[in-house]
Amino acid sequence: MNGNYVGSFGIGYGLAVLGIALGLGLIGYSALQGMARQPEAIGKLQTVMLIALAFVELTFFLTLFLAPNMINVVPK
Amino acid sequence: MGDLLNTLPLAAVEGEGHPVTIWGLLIYLTAVFAVIAWFVAGARKGLSKRTFTTKQANWAEQLYLFIENMCVSAIGAHGRKYVPMITTFWLIIFVGNLFSLFAPYAPTADLGFNLGMALVSIGYVQWEGIKSNGLVGHLSHFAGPKLGLAFIPLSLLLFCIELVSEIMKNISLSLRIYANIHGGHEAVTNMNHVGEGAFVPIGAFLLPLKVLTCLIQAMIFCLLTCVYIGLVTSHHGDDHGHDHGDLAHA
Repeated sequence: MNGNYVGSFGIGYGLAVLGIALGLGLIGYSALQGMARQPEAIGKLQTVMLIALAFVELTFFLTLFLAPNMINVVPK
Repeated sequence: MGDLLNTLPLAAVEGEGHPVTIWGLLIYLTAVFAVIAWFVAGARKGLSKRTFTTKQANWAEQLYLFIENMCVSAIGAHGRKYVPMITTFWLIIFVGNLFSLFAPYAPTADLGFNLGMALVSIGYVQWEGIKSNGLVGHLSHFAGPKLGLAFIPLSLLLFCIELVSEIMKNISLSLRIYANIHGGHEAVTNMNHVGEGAFVPIGAFLLPLKVLTCLIQAMIFCLLTCVYIGLVTSHHGDDHGHDHGDLAHA
């Protein structure tokens, strides 16, 4: 990996985090909306929200840890 | 002092590229099992006919109720026989995660250990599927819905995709815990480097989030194992009632 890739990693990770943050915000928004409508379902909604959170976080970690291994193009 | 860290393989010495060896991992695992043994011994001592006498017994009851509720809601009424296995997974993952808050390394911060646990979990799911549906029935579960003879290429494609998805389950299960625990450690280390000049451990403010992560990751692993078991062991005969767990449709 030579110096040409240094900037692209930053932009790549930044774009990934942008998508993840939007996704997590949407999860929180819908969970809060549901909890506001039905306060007696707060426990169940909390559980489902945490499950969805783990799945969305996983895509970020996949990007973080699998992206450096995908670089196999070396310009001459 | 640095030499001691090199001979006792308890932590990777930073900047020297010396990873934790298998003996270091076994030392940490012994500590994890010692904590679990203390917990279970205290719980057994506190059992009594009326009220539990020790704190560990109360917490063990909460743990059992939580796991049983999760298994029954994800698998169905026959999910109760998987509770011991899921409880074992939960205890190992939770105590292993807790070690990452106190020690420079943890069993669950090791990708190999997590992959081993994921392989055991997915292997157990395959075993349960073969036991309840037979080998041919289990393999045809991967081929998707039964279409006519003209759709055989589509069924083959579906079979390949489902096979790859099954292998990806191992990677996702192991990478989730590894990334959360090891990544949390790396994040705390880097934040501490930021405040190094003023001797302020800024990374300490991430610790409450890490405690939450410990709990959630243990729960997610067990919940996903339950859902996978429920997907392969749904009995088609008595499906008129609520035997198919209501979480397995997700």
